[in-house]
Amino acid sequence: MKKKVISVLLCVAMATGILAGCAAVPTATAPAADAAPAEEAAADEAAPAAEGAGTFAIVTKSAGNPFMDRLGTGFEEVIKAAGGEVVRKDPESATADAQIAVIQSLISQGVDTIAISANDANALISVCNEARDAGIKVLTLDSDVDPSARALFCNQAGVEAVGQQLIDAVYDLTGGEGQYAILSATSQATNQNAWIDAMKAISEGDDKYSKIELVEVAYGDDEPQKSTDQTQALLQNYPDLKVICAPTTVGIAAAAKVLQDQKSSVKLTGLGLPSEMAEYIGDDDAHSCPYMFLWNPIDLGRLAGYASLALYNGEITGAVGDTFEAATLESSPYTVVDNGAGTEVILGPPFKFDPSNIDEWKEVY
Amino acid sequence: MEKKSLWKKITASREASLVIVLIVMLIVISIFSPSFLSPTNLGQIFRNNTLTMLMALGMLCVMLTAGIDISITSTLAFAGMGIGLLQKYDVIHNTLLLFIIGALIGLACGFLNGLIIAKGKIAPIICTMGFMYIWRGMAYVISNNNWASGQDVSGFSDFGKDGSPGPYIILVIAYVVFFIVMKWTKFGRSIYAVGSNPEAAQISGIKVDRVMIAVYTIMGLLSGLAGVLSVSIYASAQPNMQYGKEMDVIAACVIGGVSMSGGRGSVVGTFLGALIISIIAKALPLVGIDAIAQNLIKGVIIVFVVILNVITQRTMDRQNLLRREM
Amino acid sequence: MAGKSGRTIAATPQTGLKQKLLSLEGALVIIFILINVFGRVLSPNYNLSNVMRESPRYLAEIFMLFGMGFILVLGDIDISVGSIVCLSATIGCLTSNAGLPMGLAILITLLTGLCCGMINGFIATRFTELPTMIVTLGTQIIFRGIAEVSLGSGGSASLKDYEGIGILRAKVGPIPLAFFLIIICAVIFVIVLSRTTFGRHLYAIGSSKTAAQYAGVEVQKIRFFCFTLIGFLAGICGLFILASTYGANTTTGQGFEMEVIAMCVFGGIATTGGKGNLVGAFIASLVIVCLRIALGQINMNTQLILVIIGAMLIISVLVPSFRQRFLTLKKK
Repeated sequence: MKKKVISVLLCVAMATGILAGCAAVPTATAPAADAAPAEEAAADEAAPAAEGAGTFAIVTKSAGNPFMDRLGTGFEEVIKAAGGEVVRKDPESATADAQIAVIQSLISQGVDTIAISANDANALISVCNEARDAGIKVLTLDSDVDPSARALFCNQAGVEAVGQQLIDAVYDLTGGEGQYAILSATSQATNQNAWIDAMKAISEGDDKYSKIELVEVAYGDDEPQKSTDQTQALLQNYPDLKVICAPTTVGIAAAAKVLQDQKSSVKLTGLGLPSEMAEYIGDDDAHSCPYMFLWNPIDLGRLAGYASLALYNGEITGAVGDTFEAATLESSPYTVVDNGAGTEVILGPPFKFDPSNIDEWKEVY
Repeated sequence: MEKKSLWKKITASREASLVIVLIVMLIVISIFSPSFLSPTNLGQIFRNNTLTMLMALGMLCVMLTAGIDISITSTLAFAGMGIGLLQKYDVIHNTLLLFIIGALIGLACGFLNGLIIAKGKIAPIICTMGFMYIWRGMAYVISNNNWASGQDVSGFSDFGKDGSPGPYIILVIAYVVFFIVMKWTKFGRSIYAVGSNPEAAQISGIKVDRVMIAVYTIMGLLSGLAGVLSVSIYASAQPNMQYGKEMDVIAACVIGGVSMSGGRGSVVGTFLGALIISIIAKALPLVGIDAIAQNLIKGVIIVFVVILNVITQRTMDRQNLLRREM
Repeated sequence: MAGKSGRTIAATPQTGLKQKLLSLEGALVIIFILINVFGRVLSPNYNLSNVMRESPRYLAEIFMLFGMGFILVLGDIDISVGSIVCLSATIGCLTSNAGLPMGLAILITLLTGLCCGMINGFIATRFTELPTMIVTLGTQIIFRGIAEVSLGSGGSASLKDYEGIGILRAKVGPIPLAFFLIIICAVIFVIVLSRTTFGRHLYAIGSSKTAAQYAGVEVQKIRFFCFTLIGFLAGICGLFILASTYGANTTTGQGFEMEVIAMCVFGGIATTGGKGNLVGAFIASLVIVCLRIALGQINMNTQLILVIIGAMLIISVLVPSFRQRFLTLKKK
């Protein structure tokens, strides 16, 4: 009998929730939903500051990562300046699954735009579509979802450009011929896979690179320990190796440490955070990394901020040819282009960090 | 007297079977990668797996009391992040002091575990699961989305640098101390006693609660030390460091013949188990197995070795029975 | 009365245990109400339709709760379920993409879970010396490893035909289909555990395997069955994950095992076996889901949410433990 009492109690509890819920029909989502189809009506709202009231969300890949943190910083700065409200959310782990929970929560809150750095290109499609059905503008930055599920991708640098820079760096450091290896993040990391594919395509398509040989793509899973094991394995398996290219911030730092500690003659390049890599960048033999690349994550966050505002105000829809102003960025205004699969804006070419400028940048990010 | 020597033989042959597994593994690996047995490579095996090997000792003590601690890598991250940040914000740069602070953080975390488990009479897996979430979360919170990077910890990281004897010295000291303590001291024996039969231990005058608290405190201390070493070896402190690696430590102990129901296990066995796990981690990228299949192979090897353990144990038990009958 | 189930077999005296369990469930219901009120007050968006819309990801997890409850009552543990979810979702996705009709793909998804469970069960019953924690730790790595290999270098697969699986996303009003299935499962599993001989056998095994064996309970068969069952439930979870994410990747289901175990423990099931019931665990799971949704909506730091859940877990087992001791002291 007691069990029945309990189930009755449980039902009462549920009913409380229901009553509490139904008392207030979600009002917050309503204005956003109205604003969604009104593309032409928004033409006169040129100045973002005039709008003000919107709520803008950014979802990073993971917590506890300085790169992701700086994306949020830039984003917040732009939105705050325009008078909007910012919601910064880090998922509890670096998985698409954790991001889904976060985005669902944002849909409930009825935010106006969501900018996502996706952990998986496919897994977020359905939740992004759900958000768009609720009238929320969805855009991506840093790492894209399937183009069908978002309005716009704020790309840090064109895939081709990154691939070209990296393969040129390898060409330069090997002296035009010899073996090189790639140390990537996880095997499903969307960005890294795209860049590696671009590198392969470029080196196959041009005779200039015919004498440099890619011996292996190793995956360090963005863990220092595994990256260390993998780097040592590369050195051991390929005694003639000349260059390691690590297009990931954790991997490049781990590899740099291994090479520098072993005083290896193998050189390193790739994509890394200046603050992480300052110890290892230098032209002489005591340093393992002569130069590397990255973009400014704060600027990328800013770009996403401006794009969010423009989408919210209806200045752009994310279609090819749309342009929007980005006051604090150098290359403003930005124009939406087609990258073959979907639409994107490109922040600019990757920035080169070498001994001459590293001390200046390591304080920034 | 005779009984004791028999027991000794059993443990000896258990470990002998592990040594055989180890030798077979080394031979197979050497065929694929001849340079595997080079001194540099062997050195790297120990250096890269210092953390697992160190924490396996604490896990041995915990498992001897029929307990388990899955909060160790969270404690590691909390302690490591703590001392990383102390350097990042230029509070302390003295290596020795940082080691002491990290160890103390770990000690405090472990003590809390022990206190709750012993005094609150709570299943160790639950208590440590709670702290697994708590310390990991705290590591993220104190990091405030920053890492302590190579330059922040330069100087300090010389201790764990490739070629520096630091990590090896700590490992050797830890293993020698534990070997002596577990084999020849009253405290060591009381851990075994508590694990094999808590009631009997209580009656024979062992303060079971105190032993339990001590065991988890030791585990915490070693995790804290591992956190400091991790920052030193990888020259970087990140809140997600060593995430999920507690399972490697547990697997190392079990492979080494430590029983999860308490009372059985040895320092030598633990060492061999940790070594097997380390060799797997080191060898998989070397022998040319496709990157995406490495986890699968690792899992298969672990299950295989663990089952092999059971089978050897069974044959040994059967032989002992036979011998006794005769 | 509620205590007439097999719990009598547990070591603690019946009356004390009965009181304790009843008060635990009562307390959980109160906490559940409090959390809903608290959510309502703190977040203007905490309402039925939003909670229901956010719930499917958590509901998928709750399917495994029932199986995990059985396993824990037996005194075993299964930490491979997260990997089984990943593997079954992966296989389901790949078979559907290979051109098999959706019905068949769904069946294969469930069968994959079932097979994984059988493998666990086989090793656990064939090598009884091995603690199940270790068995499932090994298979955890293996199952995810198989998924990684099948997914190939991209590490992620997307369902081509996601219309077919849409039926699993169906809703009645604001309430998702999964919710009704969960309720049905809850009723069935609660009755099985508390009112049937089979349920009593589970408690018997959890209290003492040897005693149960002597009493004629087919210990190993039952253990094998329970591992198979939780594998199957993990397959169902994988299916719903597949339906809600249109695909699978190598991190699908990561950490689910600990979350499900935490829900069980929070609901009063002891990991040492022989204690607790599914009513408590089920309410506890709803408490945790509502808490996560509410805290998510007020944009609390996700890591702090984990800290809170960890603290809740420890407190939830400490309080009954101290209460019990207080009561025995009083009796003396």
